[in-house]
Amino acid sequence: MTYPIERIRNFAIIAHIDHGKSTLADRMLQLTELVEARAFRDQYLDRMDLERERGITIKAQAVRMPYRPLDGGEYLLNLIDTPGHVDFSYEVSRAMNACEGAVLLVDAVQGMEAQTIANLYVAIEAGLEVIPVLNKIDLPAARPEEIAAEIASLLGDDPDDILAVSAKTGEGVRELLERIVERVPAPSTDPGGHTRALIFDSIYDTYRGVITYVRVVDGELWPGQDVRLMATGFHNEIDELAVISPEPKPVDRLGPGEVGYFTAAIKEVDQARVGDTVTDHRSPTPQPLPGYREPTPMVFTGLYPVDSEDFPDLRDALERLRLNDASFTFEPETSVALGFGFRCGFLGMLHMEIISERLDREYDIPLVATAPNVRYEVDLEERLRQPGEDSSLVVSNPAELPAPNRISEIREPVVEGMIITPSTYVGAVMQLCESRRGQMLKMEYITEERVELRYQLPLAEIVFDFFDRLKSQTRGYASLDYEPGGLIAADLVRVDILLNNESVDAFSSIVHRDKAYEYGKAMVAKLRELIPRQMFDVPVQAAIGSKIIARETIKARRKDVLAKCYGGDVTRKRKLLERQKEGKKKMKSVGAVDIPQEAFVAALSVGED
Amino acid sequence: MRAAPRPGLYLHVPFCVHRCGYCDFNVATGSDAALRTRYAAALSRRVTQIAAAGPGAVEPGRLAGAGDPWPVFGSVFIGGGTPTLLDSDDLAGILRRVFAVLPMAPDVEVTVEANPETVTDAGALRPLVDAGLTRLSLGAQSTSTAVLDQLERRHDPDTVPRAIAAARAAGVDQVAVDLIYGTPGETDEQWRRSLADVLDAGVDHVSAYALTLAPNTPYAREVAAGTKAAPDDDVAADRMEVAASVLAAAGLERYEVSNWARSGARCRHNLSTWRGGDYLAAGAGAHGRWAGRRWWEIRATSAWLRGVEGSGRVVGGSEIVDSEQHRAERLLTGLRITEGVTRDEVAPIDEAALGTLVQAGLLVDEAGRLRATRDGLARVDGMALALLP
Repeated sequence: MTYPIERIRNFAIIAHIDHGKSTLADRMLQLTELVEARAFRDQYLDRMDLERERGITIKAQAVRMPYRPLDGGEYLLNLIDTPGHVDFSYEVSRAMNACEGAVLLVDAVQGMEAQTIANLYVAIEAGLEVIPVLNKIDLPAARPEEIAAEIASLLGDDPDDILAVSAKTGEGVRELLERIVERVPAPSTDPGGHTRALIFDSIYDTYRGVITYVRVVDGELWPGQDVRLMATGFHNEIDELAVISPEPKPVDRLGPGEVGYFTAAIKEVDQARVGDTVTDHRSPTPQPLPGYREPTPMVFTGLYPVDSEDFPDLRDALERLRLNDASFTFEPETSVALGFGFRCGFLGMLHMEIISERLDREYDIPLVATAPNVRYEVDLEERLRQPGEDSSLVVSNPAELPAPNRISEIREPVVEGMIITPSTYVGAVMQLCESRRGQMLKMEYITEERVELRYQLPLAEIVFDFFDRLKSQTRGYASLDYEPGGLIAADLVRVDILLNNESVDAFSSIVHRDKAYEYGKAMVAKLRELIPRQMFDVPVQAAIGSKIIARETIKARRKDVLAKCYGGDVTRKRKLLERQKEGKKKMKSVGAVDIPQEAFVAALSVGED
Repeated sequence: MRAAPRPGLYLHVPFCVHRCGYCDFNVATGSDAALRTRYAAALSRRVTQIAAAGPGAVEPGRLAGAGDPWPVFGSVFIGGGTPTLLDSDDLAGILRRVFAVLPMAPDVEVTVEANPETVTDAGALRPLVDAGLTRLSLGAQSTSTAVLDQLERRHDPDTVPRAIAAARAAGVDQVAVDLIYGTPGETDEQWRRSLADVLDAGVDHVSAYALTLAPNTPYAREVAAGTKAAPDDDVAADRMEVAASVLAAAGLERYEVSNWARSGARCRHNLSTWRGGDYLAAGAGAHGRWAGRRWWEIRATSAWLRGVEGSGRVVGGSEIVDSEQHRAERLLTGLRITEGVTRDEVAPIDEAALGTLVQAGLLVDEAGRLRATRDGLARVDGMALALLP
């Protein structure tokens, strides 16, 4: 059945990880009697195993809940679940744009976190009605008054107006549903307009092709309609049109304000991009919905099969993963050290971990991953340019950075980072940010105990371990969010690593000149530890261009022979040799030096201790 | 081309008075005289059985049959354990049986291993010499009391020269000693002393072994528990260098990673096995190899005895060494001997790795042979791994 637009309420839940978003969603499903108790499993909306395991939502989902408020009538609530990690902030913003309201869910023990505040700002920017809610009020450590004051000061609201719930026990959840009906505005539409629907998620399904989640803004969608996806130009007839309630239910129409999904024999999610506009192919809108952005990878890494024979399998695996994740990119590349592999781009470190884990779990291809890096823009020195060469280039693999004398400027991506910390740790946080070349933009006390710090930080300085460091410096209390802040020029150099006097391209890294020496020293020391002693002395050097800045020697293993080798010893030794040979296949060999896999990500932990 | 080496015969005697902490050989302690005599009789019987079955019984793909003659044997090696714990008449009896049932070369080398304290009496050695013994290999290990204590060896240092003198007096043609270096706590000086002492006593052959931490030994358990130190590879490398210099200066030529000999005194039996030659084996836990097949007799002494005496099997297992495995073994053992191994026997190998090893001065590639240098001998296993394709 379709609902009149004035009885539709579309909302999202803004919450920090572990603040109880999924539990609250589960409780709403129960209260609206969509899910029977026996069919109930925790975190109903989180579909992927990986999501369930990590307790976070990677893909957005939408669920339609018919609800009868206490004063009668029937309303349609659409809960649009948003991803819960900074890597996926664009997806979050699109999901928000599919809503008119947002429930701001704050843990009554933990208080507001940077990520919550960042998403709150996204919601406010999108013009959403925000309903603040305190969760976990049943916990003994809850500080409802204090946290309510914090939220109120941020929103400029009355603290008494903030709802208190326990998603765990269900207390206050009905009141929340009542308030959603009461406060969240009904969607608005242009009654005579061309069909326009916002894609806020798309998921690959082996049997049905891509499942595209949409919020209809104007006009309507129906099965058999020839729809066009405006950014990619793809068009096809809708096969299946459905809503999730909470299992898929086919519908014969989705009208303005409604949320659902369709399939149209779309083969890869890249054709149905988040943020794109769906329109009628025969009667298209001239004006797509605003805010579409191409997916832009931020973090890059080289992925190489340990066994070069696995290269075609790796390509297949990446292609298949790409079918259901358009935000990750890959291009073939060659490394002197590692052979044939792919330079892969990710939205962030979590995204990278997820893809790597899926490669490992679903495809079982042993891989070597190089240390992650960001993408740089390089202006070339005018007088040394080759004929036909562009004046600037984009470098996502440090090995491709031109020689220092050919570079006139390097620009690196920066972010505007927001950190919320208890005031006790302000000093530690500032120190950390400054050690990561951060420039302070703002410092503001939210309350006496909580401070919001804003820093401009080079992305390269924060993608790897910044968050972990921040947590350890603040005993876990500080939180971080960031958004892209463009590119700025910086004095960057490439530090190369030479093993046995041969440069190992996979170890090259781009670092700030002031940190190059320290980095080089730490890196060679780390490699000396990680690379086992070989048959001969192996010098490990760090260099900028032709200048050596650090050196260590892996001393040769001076004795590697069985003392006695008689009779049965020969068989035993041969069998050991056969096993060692298998182990050797799992190592990459450069300049006759066998390098264990863990050495390739050594750069990650350089400077840790 | 060198002629195929003559086959050998290995006989194992598992008895020892005491199991040393580092030892992982097949050794039985607490034996009594009756058991030892029974074992000696069984060993003679086993050799007789093997000889009677003919080479067809041990060679893969051939039918056992009469009329298949044994080739002439070039060596007999009785190892242990402590073979000289057997009554010397019993031991001589075994040798006589061997000579009676298998064809022996006129210059056959007959080695018996002994702990020094068991052979200080020339009178007891004479029956063995009469039965064919040409070579006595003494487990001296060290002449330092401190080191011997660490190793749980039961002899006084001065027993070693006495045993050597007794062997000479009994007419043993060649006297060899085993030494162990790199025992934690051993000083460079103590090691040099041990070498000098055995050289002074007049030996023809020295085997110098780095102390090895073998799994499942009391020593390994103590190291795991932190009550004893593990041997240090770098120290062992230093000591090996000392041995190489001292022994070379005394006129002993190194012919294998751990073996040095005066001219004409190399152990023919072991050299043949490193060259890939065949050998028969008898005794509890003994390994034999013949025409591409390897087998081993049951390890437990009592089960082995029952098997030989007629109520069970004797062979514990066997394997056919395929050509790839054979090449790996040739590489492993061929690089251990200073004469090296022919490229033909080990091909194909990783030529790039070979180049690196040659360049690093560890290996010589010359006239179709690969040969470890003095530095290379200390790293033969690593080289074999690198060279294996």
